[in-house]
Amino acid sequence: MDVITEALVGPFQYSFMVRALIVSVVVGVMCPVAGVYVVTRGLGFMSDGLAHSVLPGVVAAALFGTVFFAGAIPIAIGMALLSGYLIKRAGVGEDASVGILFAGLFALGVVMINVALDRGVAVNVNLEGILLGNVLGVSTQETYVTLGVGAVVLVLLYGLHKELYFSNFDPTGASVIGLPTEKLEYLLLTILALVIVIALQAVGVILVISMLITPAAAALQLTRRFTSAMLMAAAIGVASGVAGLYLSFHFDLPSGPVMALVALSFFFLSVLWKQKAAPVLQRQRA
Amino acid sequence: MAVPATASTPPLTAQEVTVEFSGVKVLENVSFSAGPGCIMGVVGPNGAGKSTLFNVITALMPPTSGQVLIHGKSMTEARGVVAYVPQHERVNSRIPATAWDVVMQGRVRHAGWFRRTGRSDREAAREALDRVGMWDRRDALIFELSGGQRQRVFVARALAQGADILLLDEAFAGVDMTSQTALMDVLLDLRDDGRTIMMSSHDINHMAHYCDECLCLNCNVCACGPPREVLNEEVMAQLYGPFGAVPFHGHGLAGDDHGRHN
Repeated sequence: MDVITEALVGPFQYSFMVRALIVSVVVGVMCPVAGVYVVTRGLGFMSDGLAHSVLPGVVAAALFGTVFFAGAIPIAIGMALLSGYLIKRAGVGEDASVGILFAGLFALGVVMINVALDRGVAVNVNLEGILLGNVLGVSTQETYVTLGVGAVVLVLLYGLHKELYFSNFDPTGASVIGLPTEKLEYLLLTILALVIVIALQAVGVILVISMLITPAAAALQLTRRFTSAMLMAAAIGVASGVAGLYLSFHFDLPSGPVMALVALSFFFLSVLWKQKAAPVLQRQRA
Repeated sequence: MAVPATASTPPLTAQEVTVEFSGVKVLENVSFSAGPGCIMGVVGPNGAGKSTLFNVITALMPPTSGQVLIHGKSMTEARGVVAYVPQHERVNSRIPATAWDVVMQGRVRHAGWFRRTGRSDREAAREALDRVGMWDRRDALIFELSGGQRQRVFVARALAQGADILLLDEAFAGVDMTSQTALMDVLLDLRDDGRTIMMSSHDINHMAHYCDECLCLNCNVCACGPPREVLNEEVMAQLYGPFGAVPFHGHGLAGDDHGRHN
């Protein structure tokens, strides 16, 4: 085997690398696609908050010795729906409800870890792994759940695309035509909760935002169509995930932060491209 | 048209509609009916309840008492018959949407949940864009268009939807005169086709010129009828107070061509 083939194929003789690749690709597709809504709706802070709120669920799952999704998915969906309700019905502003709920829950998670440790309960929680992700440590079971959740999100985003697109673009017009815009809003928040949970394994609480926002923002620089922005964001996301994985394997770097950095460099490239190309395109159109 | 208009049931009827917000009446006993092939203008000062009336008609807000009937049916039974042309600041400008994308939104309910739009939907969208003279700009982003062109695209969305009642709440705000005329030409054409158009505007001269009927609203209905009959000094005083906050040229009424103020 020559050097390049060895560098590309070699890592995958380890089964943990195969699992890491699967999870990185699923996260690399689903986060940026949902991220196009996050960017165009200004839901960045909300998503960041959702990621933080998952911590007590993760700790609880570890205390009961179950897979991390069993704690993370219910709490993420619950928080997404509750904050949606607070914003819509209770008239609490978006910033405020995110601040109130999510910082509080994150704090609760940290306290739970400490209380458990003080009482001598062995908590199999690696706080650094939760914060920064550890895609190389994903179990077989977690890989299957990731694939399942990814499939559900894909079916929802593809199957309900025209309804979600309409209600996010013009909620009033969508209500008038008879679309259940409030339910669609809760659905979007649920989708966000799901992609955030699967992304936690790869990039962690702090860097989830980099997979949600950065590829989507880059894609929106490059195209004028919503659907092609979704496809392009997915391509950038997968490229970031896979490149991050290789770089971290060969140079012994932390995988989550490297993925975030690769995504960031794609964003800068897209801005540069737009600076160069957009004036030309505009002249052609004029 | 989704529901055929008959002579006996007018397309749009409001029966003693009252809306209260925490005890304060915003609309009181509002009754009127708009026939087919009619442009009805809603005139009134700020806070007169114009937008609230539009919200009740589109079933975005339930009335405290009274009801709105669309071809004799309740609004929820008649979904799709009424379309709404948004004020442009009400749509999300960060979501990229071409004129074509917007018009295809009018076909969302025809296609159904989890279904993709098909050939008949594309055909309807093409026809609608053609009708408002925007087919050539179908690939332009909606926020690259001028205010009037954008509104024509939203009118095309209403047509693609198959609506025969169109509501335009302050749709002329921020639209320059040339675009305004082009948009009005489209609306007049749709009226001649038998559709019912209800619109509100702060420009009372514009309304007087184009509307077949004027609904003068100030919480309750002060007057309703052809502009020539209802836009008199007495009604103006009821709407805007004795000093008439809006300069109104009585000679600018429908059919009176030199009343055109551009």
